[in-house]
Amino acid sequence: MSETLVLEGVSKRYATHHAVRELSLSVPPGSIYGILGPNGAGKSTTLRMVMNIIARDAGRISLLGVDPAREREVLRRVGYLPEERGLYRKMKVIDVIIFFACLKGVPADRARREGEAWLERMGLAQWRDAKVETLSKGMQQKVQFITTVLHQPEVLILDEPHSGLDPVNQEVLRDTILDAARQGRTVIFSTHNMDQAEQLCEYVCIIAGGQKVLDGRLRDVRRANRGNRYLIEFDEASAEADRFIHGNRRLLSRTQRAPELWEVELPAGDAPGELLAELARLPVPLHRFERIEPSLHEIFVAHVGNAAVAERRQEPAHV
Amino acid sequence: MSEVMLILRREFLERVKTRGFVLGTILFPLFLAAVLILPVMLDDGAEERRFAIVDEAPAGIGERFVQALTAPAPGAETSRYRVEVIAGPLDAVRDELHARIQADELDGYVVLPADVLERNQVQYRAKALGGPSVLREIRSAASQAVQAERLRQVGLELQQVAALIRPVEVDNARITAEGEEGADADSTFLAAYIIAMAMYMLVAMYGMSVMRSVLEEKTNRIAEVLASSVRTSYLMAGKILGVGSAALVQVLIWAVLIVLLVTQSDTIAARFGVEPDAIRSIGIAPDIAVLLIAYFLLGFFLFASLFAVLGAAVTSEQEAQSLQMVLMLPLFVPLLFLLQLAADPFGRTATILGLVPFTAPIAMPMRMAAAPIPAIQIAASLALLALALIVCAWLAGKIYRIGILSTGKRATLKDLVVWIRTA
Repeated sequence: MSETLVLEGVSKRYATHHAVRELSLSVPPGSIYGILGPNGAGKSTTLRMVMNIIARDAGRISLLGVDPAREREVLRRVGYLPEERGLYRKMKVIDVIIFFACLKGVPADRARREGEAWLERMGLAQWRDAKVETLSKGMQQKVQFITTVLHQPEVLILDEPHSGLDPVNQEVLRDTILDAARQGRTVIFSTHNMDQAEQLCEYVCIIAGGQKVLDGRLRDVRRANRGNRYLIEFDEASAEADRFIHGNRRLLSRTQRAPELWEVELPAGDAPGELLAELARLPVPLHRFERIEPSLHEIFVAHVGNAAVAERRQEPAHV
Repeated sequence: MSEVMLILRREFLERVKTRGFVLGTILFPLFLAAVLILPVMLDDGAEERRFAIVDEAPAGIGERFVQALTAPAPGAETSRYRVEVIAGPLDAVRDELHARIQADELDGYVVLPADVLERNQVQYRAKALGGPSVLREIRSAASQAVQAERLRQVGLELQQVAALIRPVEVDNARITAEGEEGADADSTFLAAYIIAMAMYMLVAMYGMSVMRSVLEEKTNRIAEVLASSVRTSYLMAGKILGVGSAALVQVLIWAVLIVLLVTQSDTIAARFGVEPDAIRSIGIAPDIAVLLIAYFLLGFFLFASLFAVLGAAVTSEQEAQSLQMVLMLPLFVPLLFLLQLAADPFGRTATILGLVPFTAPIAMPMRMAAAPIPAIQIAASLALLALALIVCAWLAGKIYRIGILSTGKRATLKDLVVWIRTA
């Protein structure tokens, strides 16, 4: 099965800055794919190029096997949630949902039926006939999410879907994204929140300054970035243990997290077996010996640093 | 095409379902009727007025004055004046009269003094003087009475003299293909004025409505979602047609109400005491009406496509405000030449304004209300208008396509040129 989305050497240049530079990535079908990066990294620009909202200057994009700039019809198979949200304020909630669904080719009666089911699921059933402008921002966002998914698109492209949602609704969103993936849909979303990405994503791509920093399966990314660090915990603090850790020349670094808890680093490539054998011979019983997996946040910070937040600039569409 | 219909339907319903639309649809004909009827009604202040006449004047003048004042006005059955004649002198009855006026038994009194023939003056006192028409009628009645007495003294009769010095009338009518039409100059001007104002209001109002709608979709990024489902040209077409349909519905409702008003003009005229012709003057022949609607639609589509561009090029309503004035300027030009257009519909100014596509939608209806314009001029003007519409819509579509998806600052003219080349 071919990849749902492939970008090869995609670039977008504005008069004063490079928004995206030589970006390549590929999204396997049925996966949840996170595009991560600080503000101004080029996440939205990338998604907007995929949606053919802005034209790329260079590179190749293949969405569901075709170039969306040439065959716009493919975009009807996509559900897109823009970063800045908005709906027709004067319309009734259910009418807005039906309108967008019909534009995507869903028959009106089916749109109404499924729209009502979605409202029920999102806890908005009683707002069915209310005008959009009377809803809170979070509720409007949920309505917009419904308009994005109701036509059962093969691909969901969500630009910062979590922003502006309270924890409860973030949970609702997470469940719907997982649900969509279970039904075989591909979900691509951007975020600068690493915790959310960590909970959801199977694949990630980290970009900064318009360039790719790393990408791949989250598990592989973690593995590749884990380093050679270990957590050593003894049953109780003891002078022998402290002496052993301090005296061990092979350790590159050692940090005492608690009287009985140490974090140590071995040279890259060194197997931990020997260290473990030495620890086992100590008179103090060993409680835990564990390789430290870096969080996505740590990987992100390690690669991107505290990247300067780029200014928002004029972005003409040039479709 | 079904997508165009979906968008058209949404835009149409969003406008028609508002309170503003309903109010505007009802209020404009009411306003029109009020303009025609109210001045006449207000000036006549039809309520009854009770006067005492203190008659100190030589015999005959008092009777003639009362007779002239209480004669029913033309078209009315009774006079609005109730008078009682009191013998003078004024000094003897003044206190009593004032007391009765304070007690609201009387509205006022008129004194015909003993030396009225020499001093040429009567006195009118009242709690509320009652507007120019009351004053005019008292002056006219007193003049008649005094003039008649003076004429009698030199041996002449008032009727005799009146017949000799009566003014000459000018019978005016326009010559049209069907022959003579009875409308007079005033009503021609009124019709031209009303049509011009209505056209201006409609095109400006609904044009701005298109602009706001484009801007709304642009600023809240609905445009991005729409553009991924529908061609932007369909989007623009659906929007303009939807708003246009709402405008057309409003115009047709007005047309029906005006037809009712005109066909019932006799009844309405009698009810409000207005000349039936004043109401009939706003009636329009069916073939002219069709042309008017053609001008309205073409004019609306032309300006709507420009307003759509404006909405796509700016980023906020504040930015749009100063620019929309510039856009509406050509619409306003014919209104500046209103007098000239109505007075000389075949003059050079009128002809040029009628041919230029941006002024024609207002100028031509005004000319057509004032005089029968040759078919060749109408055809040329409509053709130019249609051509301008095609060119503008084509360019607008290109700018619109990029504009609604662009973010950041307002587009400059240079940007627009680049967009036209790119799209």
